[in-house]
Amino acid sequence: MSEEQLAARIKEIIVETLALEDVEPASIETDAPLFGEGLGLDSIDALELALAFHKEFGVRTQENDENNRQYYHSVGSLVKFITDKQAESAASES
Amino acid sequence: MVATATSRSSPVGGPVHVGRQAAVLVTVAVYSVLAPFGYAVLALLCLVWRRDPVRRARRLQTITSRAYRLMHGWLRLTRLVDFDWRSGADQLPRGACVVVANHPTLVDVTAITAALGGAISIVKPGLYRRAMIRPLLVGLGHVEGPGPDPIRAGRVVDDVVRHLEWGIPVVIFPEGTRSPPGGLQPFGRVAFEIACRAQVPLVSLGITCAPVYLSKERGPFRPPTRTPELRIEVLSVDRPDGSTNSRALRADCEARYRAWTDEVADGTSGS
Repeated sequence: MSEEQLAARIKEIIVETLALEDVEPASIETDAPLFGEGLGLDSIDALELALAFHKEFGVRTQENDENNRQYYHSVGSLVKFITDKQAESAASES
Repeated sequence: MVATATSRSSPVGGPVHVGRQAAVLVTVAVYSVLAPFGYAVLALLCLVWRRDPVRRARRLQTITSRAYRLMHGWLRLTRLVDFDWRSGADQLPRGACVVVANHPTLVDVTAITAALGGAISIVKPGLYRRAMIRPLLVGLGHVEGPGPDPIRAGRVVDDVVRHLEWGIPVVIFPEGTRSPPGGLQPFGRVAFEIACRAQVPLVSLGITCAPVYLSKERGPFRPPTRTPELRIEVLSVDRPDGSTNSRALRADCEARYRAWTDEVADGTSGS
């Protein structure tokens, strides 16, 4: 899956998981902040997304990781987080 | 009281009452002397009652709420803050519930705890992890907050839901920080998720302090000329069930608070 395809799928997951009415996945900007300003998500949304990403991509978000806020900053940062984690996982398996 | 004879102007937020400034200094001095003694007593009781955490938390909460009642009695006596914890106490819930409130002053949590007779709260990680304070906070049943890590909110929700089984109310300021004068910050969802998950009543309290004092803009050493009146009222009680969505509950609650804040502002400007 290319980064663009992954970004598109993440946007779909955000809208589906959080049941965001009146939000089209394509309308979410890749580099716009997801929390606070921007899409206005909160910590409970982040938790629901973490579960959804684990289910979809097999990527686990660790509690107490000081970079979590950075990982969940935007769709773009989530793309990097997921691809990095998947690469780490592939490297450890090989 | 002749305010004009004993007041001088303050660079921010109106005149300051010199007599009350003296009362603030006396209060700070008394607190500085008594607080270490209070901490020592609580620490000792934490050790003595360590076998049963639920019973310990209930007992320590009762002691703390009485201490806060004394504190508010003192603040009333010295005319620093007029708050009577008995006023409207019969409207407040007892037992497990989530209490949310706006947060205009530094003494909101002590006022609510005094009125409720004890309350668990979510404490900032920086404070919760201080070695001297942590055993007391654990003993009282308080829960460490999520801090900047959004993923830790899940652990906070689980911890608070478990502590609600102890039958002690949980107080949460959904804005996460003090309210701006006459307004509100956006609400977070943790309190509402907890109420939905635990299926306990969600009690919304409205707090007013007029004139403004102990806010971010007006600190303790700049008391206003008129005695600030702190009031707490029950705005609503929601009873979430298994089908209630915390996002919708938060939106409804925040909308009610914003309407109430507008009403309060209109009343203030009209008076």
